[in-house]
Amino acid sequence: MSTGSMSERIGDRFGESLPSPTRGVRKLLSLVGFVAVWWLCYRFGVLNFDHFVSPVTTLVEFAGALAGQPLTEGGDTIYLHAVYSAARVAIGVGFAAVLAIPTGLVVGTSQRWENLLYPALEAFRPIPPIAWLPIAIIVFPTLALGSISVPLPALFVVFVGAFFPIFTNTIEGARNIETEYRRAAESLGASSGNVFRHVVLPATLPSIITGLSLGVGLGWITVVAAELLTGGPGLGYIIMQGSRLLQNQIVVIGMLAVGALGYASSLLVERLGHWLMPWSTTEGNRE
Amino acid sequence: MNERDTTNARTAPDEQHTDSADEKFRSWTESSGTGTVNIKDMTKVYGTDGDELTAVDSMDLHIEAEEFVTVLGPSGCGKSTVMECVAGYLDPTEGEVLVNGEPVDGPDPSRGVVFQENRLFPWKTVTENVRFGPQMRDAVDQSRIERLFDQMGLEGFEDSYPHELSGGMQQRAELARLLANDPDIMLMDEPFSGLDAMTKELMQEKLLDVWEDDDRTVLFITHDVEEAILLADRVVVMTARPGQVKDVIDVDLERPRDIDMVTTDRFNELQRRASESIHDEAERAMEQAEGRA
Repeated sequence: MSTGSMSERIGDRFGESLPSPTRGVRKLLSLVGFVAVWWLCYRFGVLNFDHFVSPVTTLVEFAGALAGQPLTEGGDTIYLHAVYSAARVAIGVGFAAVLAIPTGLVVGTSQRWENLLYPALEAFRPIPPIAWLPIAIIVFPTLALGSISVPLPALFVVFVGAFFPIFTNTIEGARNIETEYRRAAESLGASSGNVFRHVVLPATLPSIITGLSLGVGLGWITVVAAELLTGGPGLGYIIMQGSRLLQNQIVVIGMLAVGALGYASSLLVERLGHWLMPWSTTEGNRE
Repeated sequence: MNERDTTNARTAPDEQHTDSADEKFRSWTESSGTGTVNIKDMTKVYGTDGDELTAVDSMDLHIEAEEFVTVLGPSGCGKSTVMECVAGYLDPTEGEVLVNGEPVDGPDPSRGVVFQENRLFPWKTVTENVRFGPQMRDAVDQSRIERLFDQMGLEGFEDSYPHELSGGMQQRAELARLLANDPDIMLMDEPFSGLDAMTKELMQEKLLDVWEDDDRTVLFITHDVEEAILLADRVVVMTARPGQVKDVIDVDLERPRDIDMVTTDRFNELQRRASESIHDEAERAMEQAEGRA
């Protein structure tokens, strides 16, 4: 009788004793617990938490914000701020993808292009995207499209943030294609263009999707950082504004909105992946 | 027996076709007479100065059109290298490889290849895989593809992805993909080595059927003595690295063959001879592998 089987049996019995809907309850418990700890820290002034804001106030104001009340006196609604930030992420990541995917495919499949492009880009990669902001502010103007002003510096920072994960993942994916797939296609009569279209592209797609998923995540990180510094409208701006006005509930509301939208956009990329790669979603062995 | 019937049956509806369809069909089923492979004094060295590895050393081998040749050798003897040079993936360091009298210049659809591991495109359905070759050559013949699905027992799996098929089925689909292109020469690099014993036997019989129906040249690489004799007109035994032709065994067993032949006296005699021939080479190959480790 080993200790292993003992603990296994205890684990089993423990598992059996819990009723089946516990998973949902446990998840809810973790959220409630988090809010409770926040409230206790606020109530009893752990660290400087008494200067912060009560979760109750925050949740009430969050509900108000979702109902469409402006976040600050005479300011914009959370929806407008969210739309601005989301648009920056979408456009910045979009541009990054349009540039990074073809470049990555070329660098990943051609030694000559790798030598030409990779060293320079690799030198830029370790620079945190937000460090580009001062240069971007000088170099890029703020475009005015009718009544909407589009500050390009923040967009550029998002672009830089999203570019490298997409680029490096595309390169890795293209480099690691099994040679025999290429050979099989060639022996079946495929030209080099067809090898690219029917082998290189689909074989690299999973890595491209991984890169996009990371790129979108970095897009949200960088957009908030850039908006903290460049102003609004935007969720990063509203976080900064809440802090300046000593209205910490606005800070938290901004954070929650960024979290929710970040999560939603990664789901969107996942959906895109399933749609582009139907072969990866079908169930295994029929026979 | 069943397979014979289905393959014969497919000639019937075609007799009613127009002349051009008949011609097309004939060109598929009847030999075009091409398909000779001539390996002349071929040497293949990998790597560069200081770190060289001679995989194949001055190898000579002539394969007649429509001949089935198996190359039998210990692992790491360079037998795959021979196939890769015939396929056009690699250039020999010295000597040359002639196909139909012409030097090989890159891969070509007239030389179909089946790899050791299944290389159906995982991102294409079975149909898309089988259609790939004809599609690349702008010569898709739907009725022929349907016949291949029938012949290979793939009906019902047209829209499946390769990972949804069993190992044997994947191998049949890969064979169908190759046959869709109607190659003169089939190059097969240990294609059945990853299959279980039962599936392997079935695949060997399937391949023999295919080969006996439409005359093609086959160069089949294997390390399995029984498989080498069962399939081949001639078994070429290779030495350990650097690979050379050590022995050529003419297999005079009658055709059509089936798996029951492995118990006959003549088969055993040939098998004994091949085993003896390869035994020392396998030992040498093993020593080489240990020396490298």
